[in-house]
Amino acid sequence: MLRIKFAALTCLLVILGSSPLWAASDQEVELLRAEIAAMKAAHEERILLLEAKLEEVAVAKVAAKSEASSDEIIAVAPIRPATNRRQIKKNLFNPSIGLIFNGQYTQHETAEGEIAGFAVGHEGERGGEGFAIDHTELTFSSSIDDKFFGSLTAAIVKHEGKTEIELEEAFIQTMPGLGLPTGASIKAGRFLATIGYLNEHHTHTDDFTDRPLPYRVFLDGGYNDDGLQATYVLPTDFYAEIGGGLFRGDDYPFGGSDGEGIDAWTAYARTGGDIGENQSWRLGGSVLSGKSTTGRESNHELVSYVGDTDLYIADARYTWAPTGNATNQEFALQGEFFWKEEDGFYSDAESGADSVLMDDSSEGWYTQATYKFARNWRFGARYSQLNAADVPTGLIGSHLDGEGYNPKAYTAMFDWTNSEFSRVRLQYNREELASGQGDDQIMLQYIMSIGAHAAHKY
Amino acid sequence: MMSAAFLCCASSNAMAALEVFACEPEWASLASEIGGDKVKTFSATHARQDPHFIKARPSLISKVRRADLIVCSGADLEIGWLPLLLERAGADVQRGAVGNLMAYQYVPLLDIPTVIDRSLGDIHPDGNPHIHLDPRNLLLVGKELLNRLVLIDEGNSDFYKLRFAQFETKLNTAIARWLEEGKQLEGMQVMTKHKSLSYLIKFFGLEEVASLEPRPGLPPTSSHLAKVLESVGSKNVRAIIRAPYESDRGIDWITSKTKIKNVIIPYTVDGDDNSGDLFALFDRSLAILKSAL
Repeated sequence: MLRIKFAALTCLLVILGSSPLWAASDQEVELLRAEIAAMKAAHEERILLLEAKLEEVAVAKVAAKSEASSDEIIAVAPIRPATNRRQIKKNLFNPSIGLIFNGQYTQHETAEGEIAGFAVGHEGERGGEGFAIDHTELTFSSSIDDKFFGSLTAAIVKHEGKTEIELEEAFIQTMPGLGLPTGASIKAGRFLATIGYLNEHHTHTDDFTDRPLPYRVFLDGGYNDDGLQATYVLPTDFYAEIGGGLFRGDDYPFGGSDGEGIDAWTAYARTGGDIGENQSWRLGGSVLSGKSTTGRESNHELVSYVGDTDLYIADARYTWAPTGNATNQEFALQGEFFWKEEDGFYSDAESGADSVLMDDSSEGWYTQATYKFARNWRFGARYSQLNAADVPTGLIGSHLDGEGYNPKAYTAMFDWTNSEFSRVRLQYNREELASGQGDDQIMLQYIMSIGAHAAHKY
Repeated sequence: MMSAAFLCCASSNAMAALEVFACEPEWASLASEIGGDKVKTFSATHARQDPHFIKARPSLISKVRRADLIVCSGADLEIGWLPLLLERAGADVQRGAVGNLMAYQYVPLLDIPTVIDRSLGDIHPDGNPHIHLDPRNLLLVGKELLNRLVLIDEGNSDFYKLRFAQFETKLNTAIARWLEEGKQLEGMQVMTKHKSLSYLIKFFGLEEVASLEPRPGLPPTSSHLAKVLESVGSKNVRAIIRAPYESDRGIDWITSKTKIKNVIIPYTVDGDDNSGDLFALFDRSLAILKSAL
């Protein structure tokens, strides 16, 4: 009804406005037009408000009818104001789809890039030279219903000349609607286990082009296995979270699981908080423990291991941003320490070692700092180091014999982030991974995303 | 003895304040206006933080996990961190639940884009999320906040209704006064840094002639600034207005070449020393704009 009145009013105004048109100058016509436009806008707004009120009253009436005891307005459903609201939301698409483009140009100085004294998996090796599109990641995710959420991430990678699809993650996760205690959640499928800091992050969110040395040798880039994981945020005033998982034991540092039983498990605890307005921190400790039953292959299938592996990780992250506003300036310091214990039998096809017992530990750590000095610009530095285990006589001269050398790597990076969706990075590495071997590396990388893009964790 | 102990605890339970997790200070302030001492409010951001760009810090996870009600602007303003926090929160504050109030759903929105494409910058498909700067929106959201409080904490419903009625009266009076005192601002030409002040601009009838950002969320470029400077030559632009958390990048360059003033609007509660609550926020914004006229 209001609209009809308004239309009539507008017609009237137009007639009134146009009848003396023959006498009016151009300027006057313009003035009148502007006035009509202003009135129209004002009326439209008024109508919108009135319609919103009308709807509200209607809702109130319904509520009053259904609740004879009370005449209060109790509306849980949003009272939608009568704006023409389009319903384009990524979560209405089922599922949301995201794609990460990741390409780089790499140059190495030396031909050799082997890490002395360590069993290294395929992902942990030094990357290839020249132009390459590394992981192109495709993610589908969505809530499945009111109780479950599902997500799949597949990486399209080139492996030995063939383009392959690697299933990085395919998991379902419980949502609060399931009725588990508040703060508790269960994840099942294949996923990046919650251990350390970097492990649960996808590589495209990393601050550097490659993963630090301990991730390369101890986790082959990252531990994603098939299993089940439970997490629980404690009801404390400060942040504290605990969790753990059971896994098949098929991913590095394990391998060759025959699927009988559960070959690996994890546990972690975390806490964190703020210091004043400008600083935040997080500390964590985790364990990854399991066994390789039929043999874990490494070093281009030359080295094989059967036995137990326990990995202990301590991680810390600290950020500083003036008034907590990281838009234009932020400093982040992060580090992780790894301690690995192995008790099992190593074979090396090259040195001829056959099932030699090794019961020893090795260590590794890295620390990194990044500084965002302007809205789109950051630079960073990283140092990582490994301490290899002493080898028994039977493994002297094998890949596991580091001859007492501690591999290390120095890294500097500089990146430009145009928006949340695009980043270009220049990185320099100085890797001294074996005695007398120094390798200067330059990497130029882009990381861009289209489609849905999940928020990044702290 | 047992029953006495039970009674004491039951009553202390009823006394426990409702925990309200607000994404922005304006909603924490609104919740205090209506909830009084029956609610305990916490704001995830403060006036000097861009609510679009904070991180899902560990401390926020523990706060949201304990919340009975969360109040946020919505419309993707908190998209970079709120979803991560909600993953760890209880069922009662998830999307669609009574304890999850997204303010944008209850007000008419500005700047609803007709074309959505990432090349156009930081686009909010639902419209401009900085809705609290039109005080009339505070009434609309406040009314819904009252509904939610009554649903969650029925025992104190009379208390909430009374406080809301007082707030409504006080705000209506203030709105009339602001509109009256702000009459002289009508048509005042301003430039903005970002679309964060659009609702205030509309409320006081200012005219936004240009934005220093070439596209929403993209920082000013020198070529865009040159264009802006050229385009304002024929106009009577009084000020470049911005929120406290927005950088002054590009502003100095324009103000040094013109008589245009560099003006910071408090933007939200505690945006400056004289904006301690929602009423002071608008009093102060009005005074600042008038002095720039």
